[in-house]
Parts: sequence; structure tokens; C-alpha cells
Amino acid sequence: MSVYILPVFIIALLIFSAIKKIRVYDCFVEGGKEALKLIGTVFPYIAAVSIAIAVFKESGFSAVLSKLLAYPLSFLGIPGELAELMMLIPVSGNGAVAMLENILIEYGADSYIGRCASAIMGSSETVFYISAVYFSDTSVKKLRFAIPAALLANFGGSIVACLLCRFI
Amino acid sequence: MSPSRFLRFSVNAVFFSLLLVSMAIILFTAPDKAMSALLSGGTEGITLSVKLLAIYAVWLSVLKMAEKLDLTEKLSRLFRPLIRKLMKGESPKAEKLIAVNLAANMLGMGGAATPAGIGAIREMWDGKSDTATDNMLMLVVLNATSVQLIPATVVAMRIAAGSGSAADIILPSLLATLFSSVLAVILVKTLSLKIRKPKSLKGFKKRGEGVFLDSK
Repeated sequence: MSVYILPVFIIALLIFSAIKKIRVYDCFVEGGKEALKLIGTVFPYIAAVSIAIAVFKESGFSAVLSKLLAYPLSFLGIPGELAELMMLIPVSGNGAVAMLENILIEYGADSYIGRCASAIMGSSETVFYISAVYFSDTSVKKLRFAIPAALLANFGGSIVACLLCRFI
Repeated sequence: MSPSRFLRFSVNAVFFSLLLVSMAIILFTAPDKAMSALLSGGTEGITLSVKLLAIYAVWLSVLKMAEKLDLTEKLSRLFRPLIRKLMKGESPKAEKLIAVNLAANMLGMGGAATPAGIGAIREMWDGKSDTATDNMLMLVVLNATSVQLIPATVVAMRIAAGSGSAADIILPSLLATLFSSVLAVILVKTLSLKIRKPKSLKGFKKRGEGVFLDSK
């Protein structure tokens, strides 16, 4: 069902553009120009975060941390097996997708752990990436409580997600 | 350390400690892997950026069309009551971009949400300050808690992993994301009331009739 949304949306835009005599090709050229500029401002942040994440994973530091976190998490109703996923989601979208894939295969997509992992993933975002990238076009450096507030809100959401997976 | 200082959490400090501890572990476990680990991160950053460039090119073009068709204006009218509740006193241009950002997020079009979000923050910025305003925090924290209605990617991954009922997680995930978004709004509103703004921002009031700016 949801696969139809995008093509229908684009076709509708094209038809309206034709009616209103808007030059679509020019729009795409302008869009491309803006994209190039945007990626220039965003790239330094992405590169820095990616390097830190790679070292964090490769060194085994993330595995050690997730082992330490497993017990307190299970106390809150979140399966300890998901500790590493919970740590990856805020920092790396790609990393989290790969980890979710592994979890779904290892424990089964319809197991409690599999459903919890899916619900957590569906209800949280890459906090660090968003916080870094959204301010990239300004010289704002002090984000005040942005990251702790976002992490805390996502964490609350994850607890609720796991709780709901018990019943639904 | 006072709680407000602790909450003025520094990305630099996290980045530094993450790198330091990771490198220290590598030093003792596999020093020969240090270079390859660093480089693999850089390569990943480039791969991601190239992917994002393609996504931005597509969505910024679509956004251009929508803008010329006045669709973004209509969208912002639809979202205006909500935006004015959450982020008081922003310019119409910023409101438009915020509306696009929120709508794209809800529909799971992350590619459209990011450029709109960057543009919105840029519009909300006064051009010189180095400190995020309450409204900026609200937008970023809302984005970072995901307001997506249907987690299409996750459902697709579940189907691929052989789930018999892939859509089962839509409801818990929707309720959880609703909960986290409400929690985010509460957190930002109460924290911005409690934490004093740094001096640099006190003089400039501009459009931001921030509740707490007046109360201080």
C-alpha cells in the first residue's frame, strides 16, 4: 500500500506543474545545485562522526559497554540482547540497520526479542547525526540540553515499545 | 557540578572520550588495526555522503517544485497551529520549512526531512549566535525522537527476515514514538524554563518571545 504513495505524489506534482506552467527541469537543476552546496556543509560532520563510530566498534569498546548495560536494561524490561542495538541507533543509522538484520535472523523476526528490536528501531532516530547535521549551516556550537533530552526521550520510548510488545 | 552544567552536554567531550578509550583499547589489543579502523570510518563517511548527495538532489528538486506550486505554503498553514504552540515566534519562511520537515518525518521521507530541517534551523538562526535557542532545540529534539507514522523500512526488513506478521510492530512503534515525542516536548519545555540562557543570548530577543526569556 505505502509503496504507491511516492509515485502517486510525484505524478501529482508533475501534473500540477504542467498546469501551472512550472519548468520541472529547471527545478531539478536548482535542486541539484543546492544539494551539492548542502553536502559540502554536512560532510565534515559526517566524516568526523563516522570515524569515531568505526573506531568505537572495531576496538570492541561498544561490545564491552553493551555487556555492562545489558543487566540494567533488562531490569527496565528491555531484553539485554538489544543493548548494542540501543547504543548504535543514536550514532549510526546504517550500523543500526545492519544490527537489526542480524537480530531478526538470529532470534527470529516474530520472537519477543525480534519484535522489541523492530519496535525500538521504528520509534527512535540517530540523535547524534541529527544534532550534528541540523546545525551545520549555522555557527551554533552550544546545543545545550539537545542531546541528553533526545536520548532520554528515545530511551523512554524504547521502554514503552518493549512493554507494548508483551501485549500486542 | 550543578545539574544545569551537566545538561549542557558537550559533543566535543563525548567525541574525545569515545576516541580516546577506543584508541587505548586498540593500542593494547590490536595496534596494527588502528589505521584500518580509522580509514574504514572515513570511507564509510564518504559512502554515506555520496548516498546523501543523491537523496538531497532528488528531494531538494521535489521540494523546489512543491514550493513553486505553493504546496509548502499550504502545508505550513496546516501545521501552523502546532508549530506556533511548540516553536513560538518564528518567521513565516522558517515555519514553512518546519512544516515540510515535520510532514516529511511523519511520512517517513527522511531524505526530504533533513534538508528542510537544516534550512529551518538556518532560518531560525540570528546569524551570529553560537548557542541554540529553545525553538531550535524543540525542532532538533522532535526530529531526533522520530515522529514517523509507519516505520516502512523496519516492516520491509521483517518481511525479508521471514516474519509471519511483519506489520505487528506498527502499533507498538507508533505508540512508543508518540510517547517519546510527547516526552521530548515536555523535557524541552521544562528544561528551557529551568536552565538559564547563557549571557550572549540575553540581549537579543528578536522574534523569539521565548517564554523563559521574559521571565528572567
